[in-house]
Amino acid sequence: MKDKAAVSKLQVFFKSNQVGMALLISALLFALTVLLNPKSLNQIAIGSILSLTSMLLIASAGQTLVIISDGIDMSVGSTMSMTALITVAIMQGDGGMDRLFLSILAAIGVGLTVGFFNGVGTVKAGLPPMVVTLYISNIVGRLQYVFTGGTPEYTSVPKWFNQLVTTRQFGFFPHIVLLAVLFFVVVFFILSRTRYGQQLTLTGNNNRAAYLNGIRTSRIKMLNYTIAGVLAGLAGVIGAANSGYIQCGTYDAMSMQSIVAVVIGGTLLSGGKGSFTGTTAGALLFTILNNGLAVLQVSDSIRNLIMGIVLILLLAAYNRSKPVRQ
Amino acid sequence: MLKMADISKNFDAVKALSHASLSVKSGEIMALLGSNGSGKSTMVKILSGLVNPSGGTIEIEGKPVQIRSGADARRLGVAMAYQDLSLIPAMSVVDNITLGMEPAGRFGRIDKKAAREKAEKYLRLLRVDIDPAALVQDLMPSTQSMVEIAKAMATEPKLLILDEATASLHSDEVDVLFEVLKDLKQQGMSVIIVTHRMSEIFRICDRCTILKGGETVAGGEIKDMNLDDIVFHMTGKRPDHSVTEETGQSHSYKEEDLLLDVKGICIPGKLDRVDFQTYRGEIVGIGGLDGQGQAEFIRAVLADVKYTEGQIRFKGREVHYRSTADAVADDMGFISGDRARESIFPIRSVAENLFAAKATKGGLFAPLSSKTIQEFAAKAMEDYGIVAGSISHPASSLSGGNQQKLVVGRWIALSPDLLLLDDPTKGVDIHSRHEIHEILRRCIKDGMSIIYVSSDNEELLEISDRIYVFYEGKISAQLAGCDRTEEKLVAAMMGLTGSAEKGAVE
Amino acid sequence: MREAFKKIQKSPAYSGLILFLAALLLYFALQFIQEPGAFFTIRTYRSFAGLFKNYAPLILVTMGQALLMLMGIIDISIGMQLSFANVLAVMLPEWTGMPIAAAWALTLCASVLLNTVNGLIVSYMRIPPLLAGYAMIYIVKGINLAIRSAPGGKVPAEINLFYDKMWGGVLPTSVIILTLCYLGWAFLARTPLMRHVYAVGGSERNAFATGIDSARTKVKMYALAGLLTGIGGLCYTAAYSTGNPITGEIYGLQSISACILGGISLAGGWGTMSCALFGIGFQVLIQTAVPRIFSMLPGNYNTYWHNLASDAIILIGLIGTIFAVRAQRTTLVAGLKKQIKGGGAKDER
Repeated sequence: MKDKAAVSKLQVFFKSNQVGMALLISALLFALTVLLNPKSLNQIAIGSILSLTSMLLIASAGQTLVIISDGIDMSVGSTMSMTALITVAIMQGDGGMDRLFLSILAAIGVGLTVGFFNGVGTVKAGLPPMVVTLYISNIVGRLQYVFTGGTPEYTSVPKWFNQLVTTRQFGFFPHIVLLAVLFFVVVFFILSRTRYGQQLTLTGNNNRAAYLNGIRTSRIKMLNYTIAGVLAGLAGVIGAANSGYIQCGTYDAMSMQSIVAVVIGGTLLSGGKGSFTGTTAGALLFTILNNGLAVLQVSDSIRNLIMGIVLILLLAAYNRSKPVRQ
Repeated sequence: MLKMADISKNFDAVKALSHASLSVKSGEIMALLGSNGSGKSTMVKILSGLVNPSGGTIEIEGKPVQIRSGADARRLGVAMAYQDLSLIPAMSVVDNITLGMEPAGRFGRIDKKAAREKAEKYLRLLRVDIDPAALVQDLMPSTQSMVEIAKAMATEPKLLILDEATASLHSDEVDVLFEVLKDLKQQGMSVIIVTHRMSEIFRICDRCTILKGGETVAGGEIKDMNLDDIVFHMTGKRPDHSVTEETGQSHSYKEEDLLLDVKGICIPGKLDRVDFQTYRGEIVGIGGLDGQGQAEFIRAVLADVKYTEGQIRFKGREVHYRSTADAVADDMGFISGDRARESIFPIRSVAENLFAAKATKGGLFAPLSSKTIQEFAAKAMEDYGIVAGSISHPASSLSGGNQQKLVVGRWIALSPDLLLLDDPTKGVDIHSRHEIHEILRRCIKDGMSIIYVSSDNEELLEISDRIYVFYEGKISAQLAGCDRTEEKLVAAMMGLTGSAEKGAVE
Repeated sequence: MREAFKKIQKSPAYSGLILFLAALLLYFALQFIQEPGAFFTIRTYRSFAGLFKNYAPLILVTMGQALLMLMGIIDISIGMQLSFANVLAVMLPEWTGMPIAAAWALTLCASVLLNTVNGLIVSYMRIPPLLAGYAMIYIVKGINLAIRSAPGGKVPAEINLFYDKMWGGVLPTSVIILTLCYLGWAFLARTPLMRHVYAVGGSERNAFATGIDSARTKVKMYALAGLLTGIGGLCYTAAYSTGNPITGEIYGLQSISACILGGISLAGGWGTMSCALFGIGFQVLIQTAVPRIFSMLPGNYNTYWHNLASDAIILIGLIGTIFAVRAQRTTLVAGLKKQIKGGGAKDER
């Protein structure tokens, strides 16, 4: 009797505090990694973890919004790759602030367009978000190759921009963390401090009820995909600065990684629940997991397997549909 | 042949059935009767495998059985023709009729000829004149119902259940059906008919069982009973036959207070030229048996469902809303009885649920602090007596009654001009129900108008200034002033209004 | 004659047929424009037949996807499963030294088993198929990479020759394989199981009420799709003589768009195998036609342009198909309403 109560209490804690769980597991995993390889506990390593987590968090901003609204955006990665490429191309290795400004504008424009088409395909045409955004992701990916002929003329941003983002204060605190904080503030504001965020979350939780409440569900979902596109575009600009070498498709993997980060962080894939705080925890956990696997020199094969199994477990725990018989 | 004893079923907090019983002999046609909330629908769904009883036993031909799926039901010789049809729309009539029992040809293929013959046999029996290869979705609703019945008959069951199967049939189709049922009866088949049409019961049934509030309250040979007795058992009141379609059509409201003016609304298959008026500061009740078009009417006003004909005038202007958001923006509010699907956001907090409607008013990206939401919610909770652990708990943690009070509070806080409620207190405890009524009466004093659909007659009479009664997609009566008696209401619900009654009891 | 035409117009494959014929016309028109002299020789036929050789794996994957889409299920991992069969077929003989025939038979069984497990996860754990498929991509990719971490491996030359062979000088092996699979479908389509599949796709609740075990039906279809994918993987092995652990990833998305273009409804319960074939035929022909069109335009366009153009065309085609289907349904509903109003009135009681 007592055990049952204890087990169910644990279950309740687990289900209701996913963010806490994610942070806990992150800490445990990190400890495990250090245990298995004591050399991995140093300033550079910690700096890398902070840097990677920040980059992933920035990339997952739009994804968080989309998944909360019961959608999914597979084009985050290629949009980032595209805008990273554009940034490098515009700044041409020696550009100044004016060029940076231009890049940002271009990134917003690209993100807007991609997001708009994502919205049209899912909301207006009613195609499954995964399929539409994947196709658009492909197209955006191809466009990069088309514009550059496969080999971009410029592959890195001007040094000043790179240093602005990657310099580590006190040896381990990269500036990119501050940018991540900025994104955090923006997304947090949108989600929790505007009617938009309220309407979006309600739509994701119960589309029908939201509709009957007077929320313009189609309109808000369209807008959401567009905003997510813009956020992904801006993430690409930062990505260009963060990386030493940009080519076509550099950030494509971010699509998958952002989904995993968001989902681990407690945002339901079925929508209606989630927060950017959760995504932060998820990004941290994912980075540490990935890092740990790399340190342990785990093969590609096992890495993929683990990723897939983690997803299935999360889906089984939080996303099951109702049975036909009552 | 069939014996159901001590059957209980709970859906979460709602007791749909409570130690109900039903027994049917071989070769007998049993009428299963009940008003709203009687549990008759649940009872037959248990027999067909769609609902799992919480308690009780079922015996078929003396042997205790468990019906866990549609497949079990079929195996035991039970077939049901569903009110909302169990046909697959994009498949042909033949395929639908033979689904699950396709005649085997060579090498495991379907013997198409035998299948067609089987389908044609039952279509002929029911005198349905269609091409068996036609797709079900291309047929008229009445024909679809006949195909549904053919499908049930084709399984050659020992027990045939017809759940409101005659609802969309033409009178000649009903005649054919009853002929066939008489024949089947001779051959030993048992039939359970669930219907709300009194005339049919007296025409074709041998015995009846009456359910009320989830319990079996009466039964007996039809020939020993009369209409008023049956209605009394179903509803607790004897019908007042003096009510007619003309009753209650005059009233004392002023023309300029006309808030909502609906003329000639049609929704094919659901509403047939409905006229409806609501004046400022009144509560208009809508009564009737379930599924007579009330829900569709409400949703037509809200632009959730499209109507094919008719006109809606609101606040003096003709309106053509394209979506519910337009109606809400025009100061309408909607409170559904189906909380889970249509009003509550289960994972979101109580505060957010309360704020949901207000969230549509105001700038989309204007700063909205959580304090605003919480203050709004706290005030609403106080005003409406909502009990919750804390306003940050998920709405799913609230009891049904409190959830409904939440939804009511959500809308009233916005002071809409017109509030539409579709059976809001279904499954809500008495205390919360009274509280909600109090809240609504207070709102009327401030000039709000309310349209209140209810499946509970007592409630309807208690709260409404005027009552429209729906019967088969039309208004069968308007009750106002001293006409608001339960006897008249019951009579109108059963379609016993003047002209309709002529064709009723034989 | 008019009856037959009307029947075709009503069938689900109608729009797919139109698209396919249009693409076919384009293909042959380009062929003619580019090599007018050689148009009426056997070379034209040979190059067309050659398409089957290369695209048979994709076609088979699409056929498997079609089986699932009829139930309203989209399995995006189906392409990765093709790679699973591919690398397994290549590596099994290497590891165990067993004869090719045995190894390949075993590969087919493994393929069926893999997809059956996939089906069990989706139907019995009730995880949304699209998301489960996404997770499965990673699981299968992990398995594939464990089997073969990089493209390579040896395939006996006879296999490749057998696959490339043109029987009687006209019929490529791949076409025979595809025809056999299609015949298998044609047989299956007349069985009760297929009726159950359409029922589950049309309305799972109504199918259940009629006594159909939807979970079991789903798993059976997953198994069959696994079989088709397995055959596709074997074709791939024979065609390219190599084992590639991840190449199939793109097949997943392509098979989905092909089925939609061909007229299979996303909701399930509507469509036939011909839809899938017309859809993939359209896609493949567009993908081959686009480079040719580009080569005729002034200026230099690399393969990236080609891929971009064909992807864009397909996306436009997808959205167009959805709107066309929607228009079809609204006219149908409107026609039905007219029937109700003009025909019997409800007050005949």
